[in-house]
Order: sequence, then C-alpha cells, then structure tokens
Amino acid sequence: MMNNAYVAGVGMTRFCKMPERSFEEIGQEAVLKALKDAGVERDAIEEVFCGSALTGRSMGQRVLRDLGMTGRPITNVENACSSGSTALREACTAIAAGRAETVLVLGIDQLTRLGGGTIPGVETDLDPNLGMVMPALYAMRARRYMQETGATRVHLAKVAVKAHEGGQLNPYAQFRNPVTVEEVLASRMVADPFSLLMCCPTGDGAAAAVVTTKKKAAALGKKLIRVAGTALQSGLYKPGFRDLTRSELTERTAKLAYEQAGIGPEDVDLAEIHDAFVIAELMYYEALGFCPPGGAPAFLESGATRINGSKPVNPSGGLLCRGHPVGATGIAQVCEAVWHLRGEAGERQVEGAKVALTHCTGGGVSGLDHGSCAINILVA
Amino acid sequence: MTAPQPEGTEATKSPGIEYFPKSKPWRMADGALHLLGMRCPHCGAKAFPARSVCHACGRDDGMETVELVPTGTLYSFAEIHAAPKGFPTPYVIGFVDLDDGVRLLGQVEHRAAELGMDEKVQLVEGVIRTRGDGTKVVSYKFRRRSS
Ligand SMILES: [Zn+2]
Repeated sequence: MMNNAYVAGVGMTRFCKMPERSFEEIGQEAVLKALKDAGVERDAIEEVFCGSALTGRSMGQRVLRDLGMTGRPITNVENACSSGSTALREACTAIAAGRAETVLVLGIDQLTRLGGGTIPGVETDLDPNLGMVMPALYAMRARRYMQETGATRVHLAKVAVKAHEGGQLNPYAQFRNPVTVEEVLASRMVADPFSLLMCCPTGDGAAAAVVTTKKKAAALGKKLIRVAGTALQSGLYKPGFRDLTRSELTERTAKLAYEQAGIGPEDVDLAEIHDAFVIAELMYYEALGFCPPGGAPAFLESGATRINGSKPVNPSGGLLCRGHPVGATGIAQVCEAVWHLRGEAGERQVEGAKVALTHCTGGGVSGLDHGSCAINILVA
Repeated sequence: MTAPQPEGTEATKSPGIEYFPKSKPWRMADGALHLLGMRCPHCGAKAFPARSVCHACGRDDGMETVELVPTGTLYSFAEIHAAPKGFPTPYVIGFVDLDDGVRLLGQVEHRAAELGMDEKVQLVEGVIRTRGDGTKVVSYKFRRRSS
C-alpha cells in the first residue's frame, strides 16, 4: 500500500555553514528548486511534510509563509537524524491513503544557530549528564569493532578518504577537497580513536522533494522514480548487554524496506547511508547486507563501495563530506538518489543505476541503539 | 518516571557540591558504590535508574528497589577531547556491564592509554564535572579493580 508514490522533483541548497542567511531563506531555496525541477506550480501542492530536528518550531510554516504556500496541511516531523526520511514516509502515506495527489517534503536544519561544537544532549537523559557526546558513542563502537574484527585506525581513515572522493565531485558538498590517510589520522583528536576528519561536520542546509502519484508523475514527463519501499523503526530498550559492533535497528529496518520493495541487498545499485562517523559506514555495510558481518574493512579496501565499484556507497560524499544539517540529510540523500537514477549526477554518476537505497539513523537516547532508523528505496 | 529527579532532598545537599542524579540513588559501603536500581518481581528484569513500570514485561505493580553489584567489566571506552563546558577534558567514558547484567555508561578514572578492553572495574564516587559557579557535580564513576 506504501509503494505507489513517485518522486517527481528534487532540489537542495549546498550544505555548508551559512550563518548570514535565515533558515527561512535556506528552506525556500530548496522548495523553489524542487518545484521547478518537478515542473509544478505551488498551487499543485496539497500537503507538506517538513522534517527538522534542532532549529525551531513550525518550521514548515515559517519557510513557506513568504512563498504564499501556507493554508494547506503542514505537518512538522522531528525524528532526530531521520527527520527528513520520516517526512518522506509520511508523504507516501498521505498519497497511499488517497488524501493527496501531490505532496511537498522538506528537510531543513541550521546548526550554526546552535553555536558550534557537538550537538547538545537532552538534559533529562542519563548519558549526556555523565559526559557522553555523540562522537564518543561511535568511538566506543569503533574500539569494540576494531577489537573484534582486527580493523585498524587506518581502515577508519580510509572511510573518510573515500567520502572525500565523492565530496570533491559534488557541488552541494560542504567539503570538496581530497584528503589522505595521513591527513585524516593527523587531524586533531575529538574522541579517541576518532580524529576530527573521522566525524561529520556541523552545517546548514535544506533539501526538498515533490512526491506524487504515478499518473501525475507520468503527466509531468519526468523519468518515473518510485518509492518502492519506505520503512521506519525505533530502537529497542536494552538496559543490559548490547553488541555495539552491529546495528540491530538498521538490520531490522532494512529487512522491512527490502521486503516492501521486493528486492535484496544484491539489487541495490547505490546507497546513501548515515556515515555520521567513520565506523558507522563500516557497520552499515554489514547491517544493510552488502557484506558479511565483520567483512566491512575488507569490503572497503576492495574498492567495491567507491563510485565505480560494484556497490557504490555515498557517491555524494555522505555525511562526512556533503555535511549533516540533521533534518535535511534524509532528503539530500533522496536528491542524490534521484539524480543518479535519472543519469543527472554529473562527474560522480553511478552508471546505469536503477535501484537506490537511502538510510538515516540517529538520535541519542540512553539504552537504545539509536532513536530511529528510516530507509527508503527508490527504483527507476 | 525514569528520569533523574529534578530536586534533591535536604539530606543530599552540601555546599559547593551537587549530586547526579540529584536523588543520589546509591549507597556507599566498604569504599564501593552500590547503585539503587529496579528489580521486577514478576519477570526478574533489572534496570537503572529505579522506576515503577517494568520495561520488559510491562507490569506496574510491586517493582522492588535493589542494590546493584558494584563490580563489572569494561565493554568499550573513548577518551573525549571535545566536550560541553565543565567536563574535565580529556576524560574517558565507558560502557560497563555490571556482574548482575545491567549496563551502565559512566566516566572512567584513567586515561585511555592505561585501559584495556574487558578490564574489571568497580563503581566509586567522584566528581564528573564542575559548574560555572564552581559547584562540583558528584556521581558514580568507574575505577580499575585493584587485584
Ligand atoms: Zn517485568
């Protein structure tokens, strides 16, 4: 029932630090680009879903007011790093329910408003009060993963090097420079074993997509790109032992998304995954079924996940290079997926891509793997 | 319900010191810190902090407050060099599996280079951060077990 929505248009801002712009202006840029790309007028939009996590309240209304686009249902969605992806799922639901034919999805955040540094934890939760910060959570995963698989800090650094290969080719990316393993290892320590270049940057940005029915999408004359699977799950509470070297939440969500789409990991032509920190990319290769458990370091070193490899992952540069304005990331992944499926990704094009997977997971809640995970599968 | 208590009782307040959680849910005995957690009489599940509903079976009657064992094993750790204000960088945090099965996050009283994976540790009381006005925040933390 969820698989009859089509992405007719996408658009995004460059991700970078833009403290001089208002978030309204940043969001409007993405919305106007998506409408233009789809070839629809603003009045064609019947509902709006806006994902954001850290910038403010009523974000959809604030962005759309000056475009004259309020007055229709606007649903603001907060689901930490999965906010944008969750908003897309809700848009698909609105179409599947027959409630709307053409829906706008927006993802947006402006982290420079928070004053820099790591994203603050929630003060009623135990872990942030005891000194937990997000890089440290992943750093602990990394240390255990290295212990159990024999992976080294050089493997971690190579994830960042690969991310920068994509970022260099992506005009929307926050970082567009190449880096070497030595440079990654030598950058300043943030949370041992992670140095700065092993962590995604903070920044600002917005991304938008127009989602519609098959009939409307066909009438617009764009290549048909179907949301073939859209799955959302939340973390299970475990106050005791949990294996931090694997992501049970991503495995569970991926299984649902693959089932909906009627495909398996072998059918994915490219994936945009949530590499907030280098270890995450390795863990998610395994959780998404791209390689066997413990096999990620060798899979990375084989070159399989580079743009011209057999299973390209994060050709955009991922969160490490494109950047991670939290609520915007899920829709930026959808933009990237659509460009590849249409053959419009320029120098970083994955040739002949027909199936793209987008994956977001995050939200530090003590005792959970993550707050949420959302996976969308797009098929041309 | 499961969140740290917002107000300390008079008995737990001292000048220049505050506790986290403010209800000071632990008891000191023989130099070791015994945390007060929940045990469900229906399914046996344990958790920290104490709460009145069992996360495992959903029952909301008769949850017991029990002392957790003060010893455990260090599952993983990270040395933090960039932290919110007041935390004493660099400092180490780690996940510890207590010997009775409850996992805790906490600060570890050593540098990363001195620590090994799966090291045996014990719970102790100590300062975890200093507030802007000089108030020390005291909580549970971990120390290598002297063998
Ligand atoms: Zn129970």
